[in-house]
Amino acid sequence: MLQYVNLNIDGATVRAPRGTSVLDAAIEYGICIPHLCHVPNLSDIGACRLCIVEHVVNGRSEVTTSCTLNVEEGMVIRTNTEKIRRLRRNLAELLVAQAPNSRAIQDIALRCGVKEVRYPFRNEDCVLCGRCVRVCTEIWQARAIGFVGRGKNRHVDFPFGIRPDFCKQCGNCIQICPMTIPPCDGPMKPGEEYLCGKCESQLMDEIPGSCAWCKLGEGFGCGRYVGVT
Amino acid sequence: MLTLSRLNSYRELEHLRQRLREQRQNITTTVMVCGGTGCRTSNSQAVIEAIRDELSSQGLDDSVRLCVTGCHGFCEQGPVIIIEPGNIFYCHVSPEDAFEIVYQTVMNGEVIERLLYEDTVSGERFKTEAEIPFYKAQDRRILSQNRLVDPCSIEDYIVAGGYSALPRVLNGIAPEEIISEIKSAGLRGRGGGGFPTGRKWAECMDAPSDEKYVICNADEGDPGAYMDRCVLEGNPHLVLEGMMVGARAVGASKGYIYVRNEYPLAVKNSRIAVEQARELGLLGDNILGSSFSFDVEIARGGGAFVCGESTALMASIEGKVGEPRAKDVHTVVDGLYHKPTTLNNVETWANVPAIVLNGSSWFAAKGTKGSKGTKILALTGRIKNTGLVEVAMGTPIREVVFDIGGGAANGNKVKAVQTGGPSGGCLPLDKFDLAVDFDVLAEAGSMIGSGGMVVMDEETCMVDVAKYFLTFLQDESCGKCLPCRVGIDRMLEIITDITEGRGRMEQLDLLEELGDTISQTALCGLGKTAPNPVLSTLRYFRPEYEAHIREKRCPAGVCKALITYRIDPDKCNGCGVCLRNCAYGAITGGKKEVHVIDTQLCQKCGICRSECKFDAVQVV
Repeated sequence: MLQYVNLNIDGATVRAPRGTSVLDAAIEYGICIPHLCHVPNLSDIGACRLCIVEHVVNGRSEVTTSCTLNVEEGMVIRTNTEKIRRLRRNLAELLVAQAPNSRAIQDIALRCGVKEVRYPFRNEDCVLCGRCVRVCTEIWQARAIGFVGRGKNRHVDFPFGIRPDFCKQCGNCIQICPMTIPPCDGPMKPGEEYLCGKCESQLMDEIPGSCAWCKLGEGFGCGRYVGVT
Repeated sequence: MLTLSRLNSYRELEHLRQRLREQRQNITTTVMVCGGTGCRTSNSQAVIEAIRDELSSQGLDDSVRLCVTGCHGFCEQGPVIIIEPGNIFYCHVSPEDAFEIVYQTVMNGEVIERLLYEDTVSGERFKTEAEIPFYKAQDRRILSQNRLVDPCSIEDYIVAGGYSALPRVLNGIAPEEIISEIKSAGLRGRGGGGFPTGRKWAECMDAPSDEKYVICNADEGDPGAYMDRCVLEGNPHLVLEGMMVGARAVGASKGYIYVRNEYPLAVKNSRIAVEQARELGLLGDNILGSSFSFDVEIARGGGAFVCGESTALMASIEGKVGEPRAKDVHTVVDGLYHKPTTLNNVETWANVPAIVLNGSSWFAAKGTKGSKGTKILALTGRIKNTGLVEVAMGTPIREVVFDIGGGAANGNKVKAVQTGGPSGGCLPLDKFDLAVDFDVLAEAGSMIGSGGMVVMDEETCMVDVAKYFLTFLQDESCGKCLPCRVGIDRMLEIITDITEGRGRMEQLDLLEELGDTISQTALCGLGKTAPNPVLSTLRYFRPEYEAHIREKRCPAGVCKALITYRIDPDKCNGCGVCLRNCAYGAITGGKKEVHVIDTQLCQKCGICRSECKFDAVQVV
């Protein structure tokens, strides 16, 4: 039997089964928390940090990722404070400066309110969100790809760089990759990257049936919100 | 020799202690030679052999005990020897001195003047260890035990009164009482965070589980810090006893010592200690005849800095990649193998037995309101007396750096001190009145951390220091989360721009904002504290950053892109030393002529400057 708990997200009382993450509970109620590395039905690693929220405990707020935080009775969560918006914007700015050549990432930057990028652009192919690694490991139980190296050298690769037999070339890793769709104006040439600011969400995993038209969505220029007005 | 067999009760342990003490009654003199890693690099191994040979050739094997101990702390003066009775302290001992030491001091009680410690300021020579200013100003609760015991000998530890806390917690004191004692002692984690140890234990004790673990974190990786290594390699039984008390309190049956493989002596000594304790039945099933069973395993780390973080360390023990995970559920509830786990630093465990034995009020008598007891600091950098220092919490930094450390080496002026390694910050000279205290230093933008204290003088560029730590952290970041991996990289990019003269003023604000973002959003403790070196230098040394950006000048003369070397024609007497030493052929000049540096060829290595006896080479 599922046990339900009540928690407070942005002032709204939300009911969610024990064991779900705050991010899932929020999305279920149509409260958009931007995220990149989170995929439904896969484990959460908290790599992109975009889904940060303020968790208020005894009056003190603590910044943490909502994907790794499980719901608890009486929990108080703030997803759209001044502080969270600022931190999230800075993270999105780092992300888009790293890999501008992706519609998904350009879109996240737009949604998080990035107006200018203060770092020189790099044109990287991978942002190490780990979606491919987890889908291969957890859904297909194949473990054909994994993270290799540490820090700056971290990358996704086959074991010892050779495609193993147990990779069935199912292509799920490619499908789930946020880097595969180029920005609307086509792929950017190295050295000519820019913040496009045109894209709409390509990353919405599933449109919650109970969209609450939240204020947060307005801040992000959420497609559904814009469509109403 | 006594044969050691399994001890089945507290009484048998006390009986063994008694017999060992009786056996040692005819020993008149003890020669304690430091065999710690620091002194080993100064050839103490050869000194030990020479003294051993000398003692046996004089036929003194029975009456003189040669004790190869762990670190005494004064690493600058190694190899170090202390001779009891008399507390005679010899430093910079070489193997050739062995005959003199044995013949004059051991046999005839005469002091060898030239081996005594000479104070660099007053030129005064001190006969005993207790008189030396370096030791005198300290408060050595843990380190002083190092010189009493041979780390490879459980007998030494037992004779010195060791394993007295263990029977006490096995018979009589309930686990709740142990924890309340630790709580009221105010012991806080020595590894960096300063989390109250008692609270951690209580939470672990309350967590329901059939199996629990305790872990000793000896994965010390801060540049310039080595106190955990010295405690673990110098007195492993003390750490083990602390772990046993902790395991009894939280209800754990298995412990791990996670020690980095770069510390071979610590690995070896802790292994020997565990085996000896097992032989005596101090580890294993039904310890000292009680119902308590506990065993310890040594887990070796591969030397990743991030594995000092608790969740990464546990992943590493489990055989997984050493990466931190989110700690929304604390490790005291969901730790190693998803079981409740208490993880403490070496020094924290080492403090435990004394608290059990002497009581919490004894421990809390030293220290400040928020931080109790003593702290071991590794004093390194541009300081006269490099070494391990143990002071009471609340001692001002000034006292540590000047009274104990003796101030900056080669007469320079001390500019700053970096505390807490890559996670800590730099404090300027006018903040030296701040106390060594968890809360005080954290408020000032730094932290005690594990206790590294790197002293910097005028010739250190603070922007360069920030760059050094960022480079270290960039290498050691696991790369899992975005703010740490990319954020540190971007910070390093900006700092490199500044040190190479391409910096812009608005980048300083960006650095601050980025630093704040990283510290609030990173996944683990490493990432959260990574911006500290930059943020603290920006806070206290902003003019230095501004000089790099506005005037394209490095005030300390360190950042190579912003400096040029020139020879002062008034001071140069044409000796030609610089010309001969220049590896790039950048210096020209004939005999007795003023030499000139070709700035096109000069690689700014600084050899000419360090070789010139007339101080003619200048950095501008």
